[in-house]
Amino acid sequence: MTSLGSSSSSATEYTVRVPKNTSKKYNLMAFNAGDKVNCSTWTQARMERDMSGRRIYGDEETADGAAGSEFGKKQREEARRKKFGIVKREFKVEDQPWILKVNGKAGKRFKGLKKGGVTENASYYIFTQCPDGAFEAFPVHGWYNFTPQAKHRTLTAEEAEEEWGRRNKVVNHFSIMLQRRFREQERGGDDDDDENEKSGKKKKKGGGRGGDLRIHDLEEDLEMSSDDSDSSLGDDGESKTKSKKDTGKGKAKKKKKRKSSDKEALEDSDDGDYEGLEVDYMSDESSSSDEEPEKGKISKGEDHPKGIDEASESEEESEEEKPNEEEAKEEEEEEEGKKTPVQTEKKKKKDSSGESESSDDSDIDGETASALFMKKRTPPKRGGRGSAGSSRTGSRPGTPSIDSASTSNTLRAAASKLEQGKRPTPGPSADSPAAKRLKMEPSSQSPAPSGKSTPQPPSGKSTPSSSDVQLTEEAVRRYLIRKPMTTKDLLKKFQTKRTGLSSEQTVNVLAQILKRLNPERKNVNDKMHFYLTE
Amino acid sequence: MANKADVNLTGVKQSKGVWLVKVPKYLSLQWDKATEKREVGKITIGKKQGKTDVCFSLNEDLTTLCTAGDKDASLQVPREHPFTMHTEGGQTMAIFSQSDTDGISLEGMVVHRAECRPVVNDDYMRLKKLQLKESTKPQRLSQQLEKAVTTIFKPVANHDFNLEHEKKKKSDGKMVRAERQIVLDMLFSAFEKHQYYNIKDLVDITKQPVTYLKEIVREIGVYNSKGAHKSTWELKPEYRHYQSAEEEEEMQTT
Repeated sequence: MTSLGSSSSSATEYTVRVPKNTSKKYNLMAFNAGDKVNCSTWTQARMERDMSGRRIYGDEETADGAAGSEFGKKQREEARRKKFGIVKREFKVEDQPWILKVNGKAGKRFKGLKKGGVTENASYYIFTQCPDGAFEAFPVHGWYNFTPQAKHRTLTAEEAEEEWGRRNKVVNHFSIMLQRRFREQERGGDDDDDENEKSGKKKKKGGGRGGDLRIHDLEEDLEMSSDDSDSSLGDDGESKTKSKKDTGKGKAKKKKKRKSSDKEALEDSDDGDYEGLEVDYMSDESSSSDEEPEKGKISKGEDHPKGIDEASESEEESEEEKPNEEEAKEEEEEEEGKKTPVQTEKKKKKDSSGESESSDDSDIDGETASALFMKKRTPPKRGGRGSAGSSRTGSRPGTPSIDSASTSNTLRAAASKLEQGKRPTPGPSADSPAAKRLKMEPSSQSPAPSGKSTPQPPSGKSTPSSSDVQLTEEAVRRYLIRKPMTTKDLLKKFQTKRTGLSSEQTVNVLAQILKRLNPERKNVNDKMHFYLTE
Repeated sequence: MANKADVNLTGVKQSKGVWLVKVPKYLSLQWDKATEKREVGKITIGKKQGKTDVCFSLNEDLTTLCTAGDKDASLQVPREHPFTMHTEGGQTMAIFSQSDTDGISLEGMVVHRAECRPVVNDDYMRLKKLQLKESTKPQRLSQQLEKAVTTIFKPVANHDFNLEHEKKKKSDGKMVRAERQIVLDMLFSAFEKHQYYNIKDLVDITKQPVTYLKEIVREIGVYNSKGAHKSTWELKPEYRHYQSAEEEEEMQTT
């Protein structure tokens, strides 16, 4: 080493040596300044290569010579690869990342990824000063960027997306990780101690804050089950998380239930079915509620020839949509055991569409009926629907009008039954519904399906084939007994579409009836209401 | 080598500070040519008007560039290389060394970063020009030939390989049908080694004519026309008693 002193600047010269020692390879370990890594504080450090990439790039080791192996498989695979020009990237140990563990298990962990392209255009050298003053330059073999690895639990991508969806609802964010931790524990946590420690710490934080704000989506009973607990706080946290878990599960269950019920509901009551219906004004609810149970009773009474086939019941109930829907629904569901949804579905139908029909046991126009039939015609797949079904399906393919007539007749039949339920007229009610229907067919074919003749028997006794929409004295009387009504209301009840009368005629007839009945009057809301007392 | 090594932290403990110097490629090449003593040059550290000035000057004997192509002795690598120094701020850098014998050790911390810059003079420009020319040359070159190459492939009546093959076939003769039992034994032993076989491979192994072999195999085996192991033969289930690989290993060890 020579040291020169110069006048203007003090310069010292040092020789530079580049040792040829190749046994030691020098690499660079770069940290980010923000991590504030101070190597001198390290007491102990371990470093190893991260070999997890091997199974990705390495060959799939299939069982050689055991079951499932083929003769010459390897050679064939190799030949195939060569043919297609697939070149596999070698798994170079040199390029694998490093894993650095500082200060043992509780300390930090770093992952060092190799930085590419360092030695391509320029070489890096490490200049160290030797005791003798000279510099020694060592070439840098590789550059590794070390980043600290998170030791706390993180959410996976799916979980993160889930939580993102709930971010507006969930207020207590600490619970997210707590829940996850408990889920992990459930699945068989190995390092329970670690988790418990961490969770315990977190619980203390979260338990305090979370306890005040427990806003759940679902209002459920949070039964605090205190099975295993470390501390009171831990207890709270645990039970809370358990309950949260339960809420989670319950949510899922409820969702499932909801979904299933929704599914069922959708399948049962297809919304499109109600489109063509003529919905009666919902004013007369009392009457409808009365009508329904009656109808129900009667339908039950009539089911004996067909057994307990609810489809047939629905036919008797004289709602065209129902049988169609039944068929459609049964075809969809394909479960014979699903009677209850059928019931509910029927009831639903009754509720919504029943107003139109069951309030007066009204009959639907043959035209509309046929139209509806055509719309909802489903091919008669199911044979196992009972005798009624078969008889209907038999008649179905070719003759829509007759069918409609038959259903309208059944409607009328049921309606008339209800009417005659008060009056002991044996006739139709004694017959079996099938026979009745057939009877009805010819008998009511004469009154054209489109319009009904208007038998206005002054006696007030309606014929079996008369519909309930008929403007009869009996009908008016019934209304007025039930509830005081204005003339307007009464007119609404007897709509021209239903009765087949023109509006003038309706008015006239109604006037006549009222004269005959001579109801009592009373003024309600400045309107004249009629009513009768029996 | 995937060794989990304890890192020798002595270097860091002593707080050895090192310099990380970026050196141009040609210079490092020259350094590789250093003599036994491994001295490449000198560093002068001086203080010029308050600022530290570091300069590296290359040894005389290393200045000549020896290129493979034109031996232009006049081409000289510049000698003076001032270093631009800056302290390490953004990144904390440490040096670790990996050695075959001693494992991994942390050598020290980087305190200064430097770039070795040559003094720009004509020599340097010429050097750079040369480098550029070399780098722009394409790696592959199409060359036009004046005469066709006739030395490599000559048309031949029958290739050597084919002749050999035919001779071999003649000498070996046709495959003879062996006893049924013998063939069955061969097949079973083959199926012990692998589960799935192609018929061609079986022919190879047993050296039996194909039709005869097929008959026999049809007795004891089943043909897979679909699935993962397509068009292969395997033993019928009743003849099989394959164990999983682990069990086999266990059996082998015990």
